[in-house]
Amino acid sequence: MDAVDHIPVTVLTGFLGSGKTTVLNHLLRQPEMGGVVAIINEFGEVALDHLLVESSEDRLALLDNGCICCSVREDLIETLDDLAARRAAGTIPPFHRVLVETTGLADPVPVLHTLMTAPDIVGRYRIDGVVATVDAVNGAHTLHAHAEAVRQVAVADRLLVTKTDLVSGDTLARLEARLVAINPVAALSQVSNGIVDPARVLDAGLFDPAARSADVVRWFETAARAAVEPHHHAHDCEGTRCDHPVHHAHDSDVQSFSLVIDEPIHGEAFSRWLDYVAALKGEDLLRFKAIVNVAEQPDAPLVVHGVQHVFHPPISLAGWPSEDRRSRLVFIVRGIPREIIETTLCKFAAVSRTAIQRPAA
Amino acid sequence: MPMDKSFADTVFRNGRIYTSNRKQPWATWAAVRAGRFIAVGEERDVAPLVGERTATVDLGGRMAMPGIVDIHNHIMMGGQADLYELRFASSASVAKIAETLHKAASAAAPGAWIVGGQFGNNLLGEMNTAESCALLDAACLGHPVVLRDDSYHNRWASSAALRLAGVQADTPNPTDGEIGRDLKTGTLTGIMIEAASGLVERALAASGHYTAEMDRAAVARSISVLNTYGVTAFIDAASMQPIMAALKGLDDRGELTAWAVCAMPVVEPGFMFGKAGEELFALREEYRGAHVKPDYVKVFLDGVPGAKTAAFHEPYLADPVRGCCFRGATMLTVPDLIRWLGRCEKLGLAAKIHCAGDAAVTQALDAIDVVRSFNGPTHLVHQIAHASYITPDDIPRFAALGVAADLSPIIWYPTVFLEAHKAAMGDERAQRFWPNRDLKNAGALMAGGSDWPVIPIPDPWQGIEGMVTRQNPTGDFPGKSLWAEQALDLATVIDIYTIDAARAAGLGQTIGSIETGKSADLIVLDQMIFDVAPDRLADTRVEMTFFEGRKVYERA
Repeated sequence: MDAVDHIPVTVLTGFLGSGKTTVLNHLLRQPEMGGVVAIINEFGEVALDHLLVESSEDRLALLDNGCICCSVREDLIETLDDLAARRAAGTIPPFHRVLVETTGLADPVPVLHTLMTAPDIVGRYRIDGVVATVDAVNGAHTLHAHAEAVRQVAVADRLLVTKTDLVSGDTLARLEARLVAINPVAALSQVSNGIVDPARVLDAGLFDPAARSADVVRWFETAARAAVEPHHHAHDCEGTRCDHPVHHAHDSDVQSFSLVIDEPIHGEAFSRWLDYVAALKGEDLLRFKAIVNVAEQPDAPLVVHGVQHVFHPPISLAGWPSEDRRSRLVFIVRGIPREIIETTLCKFAAVSRTAIQRPAA
Repeated sequence: MPMDKSFADTVFRNGRIYTSNRKQPWATWAAVRAGRFIAVGEERDVAPLVGERTATVDLGGRMAMPGIVDIHNHIMMGGQADLYELRFASSASVAKIAETLHKAASAAAPGAWIVGGQFGNNLLGEMNTAESCALLDAACLGHPVVLRDDSYHNRWASSAALRLAGVQADTPNPTDGEIGRDLKTGTLTGIMIEAASGLVERALAASGHYTAEMDRAAVARSISVLNTYGVTAFIDAASMQPIMAALKGLDDRGELTAWAVCAMPVVEPGFMFGKAGEELFALREEYRGAHVKPDYVKVFLDGVPGAKTAAFHEPYLADPVRGCCFRGATMLTVPDLIRWLGRCEKLGLAAKIHCAGDAAVTQALDAIDVVRSFNGPTHLVHQIAHASYITPDDIPRFAALGVAADLSPIIWYPTVFLEAHKAAMGDERAQRFWPNRDLKNAGALMAGGSDWPVIPIPDPWQGIEGMVTRQNPTGDFPGKSLWAEQALDLATVIDIYTIDAARAAGLGQTIGSIETGKSADLIVLDQMIFDVAPDRLADTRVEMTFFEGRKVYERA
C-alpha cells in the first residue's frame, strides 16, 4: 500500500475533563491549522464565533486561519465521505489533513477501526497518529477507574499531560511512570493551559512513506530499548523483583513488551502469523506496532499497526529510518504472555528462536 | 437403626460386571443411591448397604457393563420418521411412491402437510420432469407434500408445497442450490436440490406441522430405540432449536432416559434449517438441563467421499465432469476455522468437526494446532468426526493436540459405502479406511458412534464386532476384510464405546464407567462378550438398560 496520496488523519482522544477541549481550542486558533479539517463533537464546546469567516450551514464553518471546522455526524464514515466529496467538488477549500476529536467517554478503538477498514475511507485517508490527553490532577484516578481511559493511553502515539502546573513534581513523575508502564513507546509531553505546538499533535508521521521524521526514529529506538533494557523506565516496582521485561500497570492488567528480531522475516509467514494473532488474541491486543525487515524486500521495511483484531494494511517504507535494520515489534496487551508471542512467531512465522533478542535477566 | 439415607436405593448382585474402570475392571455387586453408584465391588463391599427399602436386581451371573455412549447421531430424525412420516423403501419406483402417497393423501386431514421419505437419490433425474411432477400432483390430492431423499440433501415437493414456500417458475436458484425445472417446458418439477430444500422445509416448519409435543415424542422414540441397544448417552451432531427444545422438554418432565450432548452448527447445515452460529449459541443456556449439555458446536469442513465432496490430498479418479485432478475442497479456510475455534473456546464450547477426507483432517488439525499454540491447554475436547481417511503424518497429531477421533458411522468393514469410495478413488486408496489400530497405538482418544440415520439402525454391537473383526457382521461381503491390520481387541473397543467416548463428550467425570460417584448407567447383556467368538459379538442382546439406576428398558 502506498500512502503518499492519502490524507493524514490525527485522532485526538482523552477522558472527560482531561483538557482535550482546551487543547483543541488552542489549536484552532493557530496559523498552522490552515488547510486542516477539524471534526469536533460539538461546536458549542469550542468558542468559534469570533473566529468564523463564514458558516454556510450548521455543520461546517471556515475559520479565519483557514481551518475548516466540522461537527461530526452520526457516523464518521459519512462525515469523511462527505468532506472528500466536497473537496473534490470545490465547495470547500482544499485540505491536507484531518483532526478527529473523539468523545471523552469513548473507547477510541471503534474510530480507529473505522479509519483502518471502512472501504471508502482506507482509499482516501490514512491514520497519522493518535494523541491522548491525560490530566495530571485526576489522571491516576481515571486510569484506575475506567478501562476506556487505559485504552486511550494504550493506543496513543503521543501523550499530552495537561494541567501540570497544578500538581507537585512527585505526583507528575508518578503519573508519567504509570503512563510509560502502559505505553512505553508513546512520546510524552507536558501541557499547561492547553498551549501546545500544533506540530506536537499533528504529523506523527508514522505512516509517512519517507519515514524520516524524528518521531519515527525516536519511536523505533524506544521500542528497541524497551526490548533489551528492563530498567529503562522509572516505574515503581513495589517489591523485591524489578527485573522482569513486562511492565505492569499498577491498577490494570495492561502490559507492554517489545521484541527485537535480528534476522529477516518471511513476509507471507509473518502476515499469516498476524492473521492468527488477530483471530485469537485480538481482543487482548490493545495496540501493536512493528517495523519489519522483510526477507523479500530488505531495503523497504514494512510498518504494521494493529488495534485489537484490526490491522492496518502493512505499509512499505521507502527506506530505513536509521542504520538499525532489525525488526522491532511492540505489544500493548492485556494478559498475553510474551512467551506465547515468541513461541508462535517461531512456529508460524518461521522466526528462529535465537534471533529474538531478550532482555538480560 | 440407621437412617434410610445410608442405604442403597438399588443393588445389583451376582453379576459379572465389567466396569471400564482400569483400577477395578470387574465386580460382582454394585449399589446405587440417588442415581449414582455408591459402591462397586464384591458382596462384602456392597451387602451392608442393603436396607429394608433397597431394591435388588439379581443379575443371575449375567454380564453387565456401563451404558454405551453414541458419539454421533441425529436424534430427531429416526423418531420423526418412525412416528410422523410416510415411509417407503429407497428402492421404490416413482410409480410406487405415487401409489403410496395417494393412499396417505386420501386419509389425511384437509390441507395437512404430508412428509415422507426416503427415495433413492438415483431417482432425481426421473423426478425432475413435467411428467413426474404431474404424477406427484395427481397423487397428493392437493396436499402440500415434501419427500426427502436418502441423502437428506434433496427434496421432492408437490405444487401445493411450492406455493406455500413462495416458489414460482421465475424464482431464482438459491446459492448452493437448484430449483428443479423441466428441461423442455421450463416448468417447476418440485425437485429441490441442496439449499433449495430449505425453501420448502422452512414453509413446512412455519406451518406448525410439527408441534413441540410432536418433537418431544419423536426424540423420546429415538432415545427409546437407543436404550434397547444399551445406549444411555449420545451427542446429537447437528442440534437445531427444535431438537434442543425437545430434549430440554423431556428432561424437565423427567422423561429423558439418556445423557444428551448437543453440537450446535456454526452455520446452517445443508439438511436442517433454522438459527445457527452465534444466534443459536446465545440460546444455549435456555436449553441446558440436568442431562442436556449444549456444550459443543458442529463444523462441516467437507462432504463425503462417495459424492466426491470430501477434501483429499490426492485427486479422485478422473471423470468427465471434474477432469483429472479434482481433490474436493473444504468449506472453510484455515483462518476461518481458527476464528471459529477461537470464538468457541472463549464461549467454553468444544467443536465437532466433520472431516471425511484426509485433507480436511489435516486442515482441522492445523487449525487446532494454531489455536493451542496461542491459547495454551484447555479442558475442551475437540473432535474430528468421521476420522477415517487420515494421512500417516496426521495420526500422532490427534494425541499431541488432544483431539478425539469420532469413529462414525459404523463402516469399518466392507460395506456399500466402501464400494462407492473405490469407484471414486480406486481400490487401494479406498481401503486405507479407518486406521483405528494406528490411532490407538499413537495414543489418540477414540469414541464410537453410529451417525444414525446414515446407518439405518443405531446398533453399536455391529460396530463393536466390526472393530474387532474388520468384517461385515451382517453377512454381507462374506470372507472379506477391510484393512485387517487395523483390528482392535475387545477391551479396547469397549473403552471406545464407554469411558473414552464419555471423555470425548466432555462427560468423563460423570459417565462411561461403573465406579463410585458416577451416574448409574448400566446395561445387562445376554452373553458374556469376552467369552464368545468375535463374529458373535453383533448378536449380543441387551436384556436391561438402567439410566441413573432406573430401568428404562427391559427386553420382552
